[in-house]
Amino acid sequence: MLNEIKVALRGLVKTPGFTAVAILTVALAIGANSAVFSLIDAVIVRPLPYHDPSRLVLLWEQFSAQGLDRIPVSAPEYLDFEKEFKSVDQIAVFDYTAFNLANGGTPERISGAVVSPALFSLLGAEPMSGRTFAREDQGVGHDDMIVISERLWNRRFNSDPFLLGKTLILNGRSYTVIGVMPKAFEFPIPLFNVQGGQFAERVDIWKPIAFPPEELKARYNRSYGVIGRLRPGTSVASAQAELKTIVANWMRLYPDNYSTAAGFGARVYPLHEQVVGGVRTGLIILLGAVGFVLLIACANLATMLLARASARERELAIRVALGAGPWRVLRQLLTESVILAVVGGAAGLLLSVWGLELLKRIGARTIPRLAEVNLDFSVVAVTTAVSLGTGILFGLIPALVSAKPELTEALKEGGRGSTAGTRRNRIRNSLVVAEIALALVLLVGAGLLMKSFVRLQNVDPGFNSSKVVTMELSLPLVKYPSPGASYLGGESTISFFTEAHRRIAELPGVQANACTSILPLSGTNSDSSFSIEGRAMKAGSPGPDEEIRTITPDYFRVLQTPLQRGRFFNDADTATSEEVVIINEALARKCWPGQDALGQRITFSDPRKPGVKWITIVGIVGNIRHRGLDLEPQPEYYIPHTQSPARSMILAVRSGQDPRELVSAIRREIQSMDPEQPVANIRTFDTVVADSVAPRRLSVLLLGLFAAVALLLAAVGTYGVISYLVVQRTHEIGVRMALGAQRSDVLRLVVGHALKLVGIGIATGVVLAIFSARALSALLYRVGAFDPVTFILVTGLLGAIALLASYIPALRATRADPMIALSRNT
Amino acid sequence: MPATQQTIASESTRPPISNGSAPLIHLDGVTKVFLTDEVETHALSGIHLDIRPGEYISIAGPSGCGKSTLLSILGLLDTPSGGSYSLKGGEVANLSFPERARIRNREIGFIFQSFNLIGDLTVYENVELPLTYRGMPASERKHFVTEALERVGMGHRSKHLPSQLSGGQQQRVAVARALAGKPAILLADEPTGNLDSRNGEAVMDLLKELHAAGATICMVTHDVRFAQHADRTVHLFDGRVIEDNRIAA
Repeated sequence: MLNEIKVALRGLVKTPGFTAVAILTVALAIGANSAVFSLIDAVIVRPLPYHDPSRLVLLWEQFSAQGLDRIPVSAPEYLDFEKEFKSVDQIAVFDYTAFNLANGGTPERISGAVVSPALFSLLGAEPMSGRTFAREDQGVGHDDMIVISERLWNRRFNSDPFLLGKTLILNGRSYTVIGVMPKAFEFPIPLFNVQGGQFAERVDIWKPIAFPPEELKARYNRSYGVIGRLRPGTSVASAQAELKTIVANWMRLYPDNYSTAAGFGARVYPLHEQVVGGVRTGLIILLGAVGFVLLIACANLATMLLARASARERELAIRVALGAGPWRVLRQLLTESVILAVVGGAAGLLLSVWGLELLKRIGARTIPRLAEVNLDFSVVAVTTAVSLGTGILFGLIPALVSAKPELTEALKEGGRGSTAGTRRNRIRNSLVVAEIALALVLLVGAGLLMKSFVRLQNVDPGFNSSKVVTMELSLPLVKYPSPGASYLGGESTISFFTEAHRRIAELPGVQANACTSILPLSGTNSDSSFSIEGRAMKAGSPGPDEEIRTITPDYFRVLQTPLQRGRFFNDADTATSEEVVIINEALARKCWPGQDALGQRITFSDPRKPGVKWITIVGIVGNIRHRGLDLEPQPEYYIPHTQSPARSMILAVRSGQDPRELVSAIRREIQSMDPEQPVANIRTFDTVVADSVAPRRLSVLLLGLFAAVALLLAAVGTYGVISYLVVQRTHEIGVRMALGAQRSDVLRLVVGHALKLVGIGIATGVVLAIFSARALSALLYRVGAFDPVTFILVTGLLGAIALLASYIPALRATRADPMIALSRNT
Repeated sequence: MPATQQTIASESTRPPISNGSAPLIHLDGVTKVFLTDEVETHALSGIHLDIRPGEYISIAGPSGCGKSTLLSILGLLDTPSGGSYSLKGGEVANLSFPERARIRNREIGFIFQSFNLIGDLTVYENVELPLTYRGMPASERKHFVTEALERVGMGHRSKHLPSQLSGGQQQRVAVARALAGKPAILLADEPTGNLDSRNGEAVMDLLKELHAAGATICMVTHDVRFAQHADRTVHLFDGRVIEDNRIAA
């Protein structure tokens, strides 16, 4: 065996060009496969990093009649679940929050979560130091403690070993640090397709929950996520049945809050499914794509090995003539291909390490559990097996063909093409056809996604995001107290934002500035139901429940969203003036079809009761795509901040130049008003929009990349086969030239052969693509899976590249000297 | 200038030789030098040769004497390093590649030692090939091909592949291919080299028949028996013509 390895290595070193191309081919394919396999292993296959994660479920509610699915739960509903839901042996509540940390230095806003103390034991998570919350650490007055992440401990406190027991000032209140969670711990974990909540950022501070008293009375105020651990042996279906009973009971007890017509219900979802469900299809498509790349690379490798075996036909014949048995020849050839595959596989692993690092950078906001992705033993084992399999399987084809050379022909000086040669040609041609077909499938997929993406980029979102910078401001309750609900501020909150707008407006370069409670395409949302004046509330029928935002007067000027009728908010709309609202066209059409919505009135209170506060529609604005560029605009309504002073707002500033240049001046103005007030999540509006299509961009990028690799490999394959064909047919070409063939005739001959292969490959590929494109349907936007333009363009591109790849050797053939060609006895 | 011995052995009894007419081919001081690894090899050194229409000439000589190089230059497969070469009165020594291909296609018919039939093409298609390059319409090609195949007695094998024929039959097809376009001259490079003596004789008889019918033939051979079939033998040695014998029938 050692001898075979030595001979194989010597042979490979002697042909560095062949060896390099073969190794690179395998490396590209194995690299792509290892990277995607690592991704799938970490994201889909590996269990979530919690104790017995298969029993973890999330509990969401729904109003199916209004299209609201997987919405959060209110505080009283959660407390009912805690008491009544027996299918789980542990249950916990959580919500995202933000903390303004101002312990000396620059004030900073830090993402955090409020959680019930049971959460940590439910997840089986232990702190790396200190402790987590005890059962009694909850409720107003018992929540002055926090657990922080290792990341924050390290970054902000320089891994201070004495931090435990110390006090931090968060949102103007003192909290004692009681524990530090290990680096790997993450909860809430990014979730996908959840409406009405902000579930995206990684949190660094956990605080025990303390439901404000007003929330405990409001069953409709839903903002909490609920996680439970199913009792051993309890199925999701039986838990679901129990929930149905609980909800039916609520409907009886609280008829004002729930109606059958609204389709209210509660459902449990396995946590794993919730975390990875949104990316599963995309990852499976990627796996298919890299599988195709691997097949193409294997076909390429086999083609190259076949050509090499052809060139060595005489050498092999001599070996056999001297007594080497077929197994010995087979072993020699296989050794060579296995060496190529193993070295290529190792290079591929290196490529995948780099690829994964790159993916972690570009996919951070797109793919869940990305931090857990690594090349572990299983990935290395699978890669090794695939590499060896590739080497053996695809080395076997040429080896089997060459192991029994036809001695009399091969050994004859000037021996003509043997049957092995014909067989090799047929296999080589078939492999190129397969490569082209597979590459076409990938290219069609990438083409369809690209076209979707371009269509998406050209969608009018209803606003102009360029030259706008956004940032988040969250005024703490302690410093900016509220007379009523804790999420709303009071006079001090209104004054803060009014003054901030005044100061920012005076900064040079600022064209307009405003605040909103919810920024379009930012991934957050809020909705609220209301009643319309003059329309009787029907028992059991749901009233309108639409998306609501709180804004300051210049909001639509910053967004450049057109006013259709009426007016924008202005300084005359105060806390004490007539209550007003602006609606969008979609809401006007939905609630006042065929009528003039302007001047109509709505209310948040029960219109059947006395003392109703009516809110007058004073303006109608254009529609804005809020949930996603690919989703139709929804009905929306806007209320002035002075009449609903939310404490957490997003500041948006339109500038005449690059808006990022304004950031330090804005921050200075904010901190001159309140030195402890951090400005967080500073992003240009363009970035917000770009982030909203990041998953699509990533799919386009990755599939495009793999398609490009496939195209390159197919081109190399075609080039190799046609080059070999030219060498093989040099003699024939010489004869033709001797008979008077012009260069164009030779060119036609060679390119014609390539054209035949490319044609068959493309025809096969189109059929395959028609079947496989269906899998992409869910990822497409305004592009059919069988989009003829994409099919034609992609076919043209592949055909052109493949023909170009064959044109180069064909051109070489036309330059052949007929005399030399004829003197070659091939 | 090397000494050239020109001997007229006897007056040919056959009419095709027309020494008085203008030469079909006229070589004047043709040289060919190959450069390999900075070493100059003089394959041909000042060849003077006239071939007249209807002549049957054989070029003989030992291995490496320059026979094949001379035939390549005559067949416009190669260009001379010096001297002039005129075919049918026109200078062809330094033509472009397409021009040479065009003249090769119309004026020259090749017969190779190893037949050089294209294995994937049928007998008919092989013979048709040079006519295809000429841009001749299919109906006309059919006429020419059929005629050529009938002439060599291979009309009944037109649909066969070369691999289905014997060596002698393959060479007959190669002769038909050379004839099909009615070239001014047939150049045969060791046409019997790959054949047994019986088939070799048959091919030589065929060439003789063609010559009798008026074809101009230039054949390279080292086989003295076959060289005698020609009515003129040119002997080469070290790239020079050392003897030019016109043989009586």
